[in-house]
Amino acid sequence: MDRRTVLKGLASAGGMALTGGLAAPALAQGAAARTLRFVPQANLANFDPIWGTQYVVRNAAAMVWDTLYGIDSSFQPQRQMVESEEVTDDGTTWTFKLRPGLKFHDGEPVLSKDVVASLTRWAARDPMGLMIKAVQQELTAVDDRTFKWVLKQPFPKLLFALGKNNAPCAFIMPERVAQTDPFKQISEYIGSGPMKFAKGEWVPGAKAVFERFADYSPRQEKPSWFAGGKQVMVDRVEWVIMPDPATAAAALQNGEVDWWENPIADLVPVLKKNKNISVDIGDPLGNIGSFRMNFLYPPFNDVKARRAVLMALSQEDYMRAIVGDDNSLWKSLPGYFTPDTPLYTEMGGEILKGKRDFDAAKKLLAESGYSGQPVTCLVAQDQPITKAMGDVTADLLKKLGMNVDFVATDWGTVGARRAQKTPPGQGGWNMFHTWHAGGDCVNPAPYTAIRATGDKAWFGWPTSPSTEKEVASWFEAKNLDEEKAAIGRLNKAAMDDVVYAPTGFFLNYTAWRKNVSGVAKGPVPLFWGVSKSA
Amino acid sequence: MLSYILRRIVATLPVMAIVALFVFSLLYIAPGDPAVVIAGDQASPEDVERIRQSLGLDRPFLVQFGSWVWRILHGDLGTSIFTNLPVSTMIGQRLGPTLSLMIVTLLLTIVVAVPLGVVAAWKAGSLIDRAIMGFAVFGFSLPVFVVGYMLAYIFALELEWLPVQGYTPMAAGFWPWLENLILPAIALGCVYIALVARITRAAMLEVLQQDYIRTAKAKGMGQGGILFIHGLKNAAVPIVTVIGIGIALLIGGAVVTESVFAIPGLGRLTIDAILRRDYPVIQGIVLLFSFVYVLVNLMIDVTYTLVDPRIRY
Repeated sequence: MDRRTVLKGLASAGGMALTGGLAAPALAQGAAARTLRFVPQANLANFDPIWGTQYVVRNAAAMVWDTLYGIDSSFQPQRQMVESEEVTDDGTTWTFKLRPGLKFHDGEPVLSKDVVASLTRWAARDPMGLMIKAVQQELTAVDDRTFKWVLKQPFPKLLFALGKNNAPCAFIMPERVAQTDPFKQISEYIGSGPMKFAKGEWVPGAKAVFERFADYSPRQEKPSWFAGGKQVMVDRVEWVIMPDPATAAAALQNGEVDWWENPIADLVPVLKKNKNISVDIGDPLGNIGSFRMNFLYPPFNDVKARRAVLMALSQEDYMRAIVGDDNSLWKSLPGYFTPDTPLYTEMGGEILKGKRDFDAAKKLLAESGYSGQPVTCLVAQDQPITKAMGDVTADLLKKLGMNVDFVATDWGTVGARRAQKTPPGQGGWNMFHTWHAGGDCVNPAPYTAIRATGDKAWFGWPTSPSTEKEVASWFEAKNLDEEKAAIGRLNKAAMDDVVYAPTGFFLNYTAWRKNVSGVAKGPVPLFWGVSKSA
Repeated sequence: MLSYILRRIVATLPVMAIVALFVFSLLYIAPGDPAVVIAGDQASPEDVERIRQSLGLDRPFLVQFGSWVWRILHGDLGTSIFTNLPVSTMIGQRLGPTLSLMIVTLLLTIVVAVPLGVVAAWKAGSLIDRAIMGFAVFGFSLPVFVVGYMLAYIFALELEWLPVQGYTPMAAGFWPWLENLILPAIALGCVYIALVARITRAAMLEVLQQDYIRTAKAKGMGQGGILFIHGLKNAAVPIVTVIGIGIALLIGGAVVTESVFAIPGLGRLTIDAILRRDYPVIQGIVLLFSFVYVLVNLMIDVTYTLVDPRIRY
């Protein structure tokens, strides 16, 4: 081999790479006026809304798959794919009829057998679905457009379960797809929603594309969250994944993207100054910050220790650490349910109100028998919200005289370690931080974090029979007044036992270019009704 | 030389095997669980365990390792736990942007750094030399993300000359391809330019002291000929070496650069995979990077023969 041969080889290899010999995604091609470029909250790493229950998956899935019912902005389930329903007087037999003309993206009609298979898969993973499954006698297709659900006992919240927007939603898939094991991922993304998923253009971590489904027949009602007419006004919605908020802000200012789902609070003032950008609260249901204490081990196996922490906790400190000085973005939350929703209550929340009493808190902590043992506090540093809360908690515990073992790590590690039931010194933990979407906290149905069933409860494994009693009361409630009464008692019981520590309620902004119109507030980014001018 | 290249390629196999074992073991003992990330924040411990079982993550280490190696031997890098896409597809999707970024950065470095180093050596001790070396220190000191943000602010937001982010393949046109890479390449290239400029200066200073340079001057050869024909050619071996070693720097720097400029390359894929504990993807990328690094070293060795005819394999 001589010098010329080597040079020729190098030149041809370089040429192949430069001229597109290697496949590459088209990310920054000139945006057409009918393409909406959207920066989502996170990467769309998988696209099975039953298998993976991350919010970002749910948000994307809402475009592709439709639901039988849809929750509207007043939290009422409205018919979506369903044309009509009938229920027997004893409340145990429901008969549903599908709207005519519903089609999947592959051109096949939506049939009852698809619904039955989809609901079966959903019910295996969803908390409400599991409850329905527990009282289910049979779920069958009567004819192509009619299906019947027979229960052993009434389940008053059935329509809410079918229309709720909390993950996993009861999305309807073709039977062949829905027959996939609920603990395994689907590989075909065919829905009957207003947009089709362009699988060939999907670059996980970078881009996801949705195209308008021409055969979609929207309802005639005005759109409201998951309900009403889902009229898509653009041809394409391109999700551009941007891990760096500063880059997303610059891209929005530069007109390279049209809508950024949740700009971080630090960058909002810059966006507000830009005359081409609109900024507003995106999800009015916001988020509830929290940290959970491990009920299995000292010191937090004693309610006195948990209450001592709550007595000293200043929600303002937490909220300012998360959202900064913008007072419109947070409020105190002396309870567990989302503010400004029908069931919101502060009953039993006095412990979180007023001046913080460290002396009383220290006294209560001493009464719990705490004697300086390390308190293992897990904090995910790669999540700005948990990092901010973790820093405040560490300071709080130190002020209470506790010996803090501050475990600064990433979310993946926290996620794995929090599942450990071993003692804190042997790989377990005493507390970890997280937050809950306000949409998940409007009532007990999707609210896993409020459940207190001990060993079967969410991480921290709280035990509170009185809380569970009131959860059951809510499920059995027959009207709003009964529901409110049950939730009031539930809130008090959960607060008395400190099922978890709420650190406050906070909101996020959303920002879009002014040539985009129709951006509506909602618990998920709603793409129907959104249009874009050149 | 062909047999030498073949021998070197065969020698990469044990290296890759050791890398594979090391990476697999490291991931096995590292904390974190992809099943937890998949299941979502509201999932119950039972759901997480079911997902772990369905992914085969509950199997013993040796079983998992054996199964992975068996697939690798059949040319199958596996399937991403999260996306359900083949790892080779995911890497293929990301290779173009990263390769483009590295090529542009490499060209930019050679075009800027080598002449700067030559001029600095030629004007050693002068104000020009000090200015160039000052720039080099500056380049070494500034983190990639700081340079990236500054460039994006000035050239994209204020002057509106170039896009802030993204990547366009060359199939869409040369300029659309290049305009997305200019700012990232400058940001990524800063450290690299500084390094190569300093090495070029040092190598040139040594060469310019040689007798044959004095002879060339005595024969009346022009300054350009002395510097670039006699000087640079004889100083090329250490320069080529550092350019090659610097490719490792580029791979590391690409992770940050691709995040800052939202380029869908391998760097971002690596970070995403690590944060989600997407083991097959991490393993595939590390194997690829190891192979590239071994290959680059081989290319450097081959390049020596181009710049110095005395070297033969």
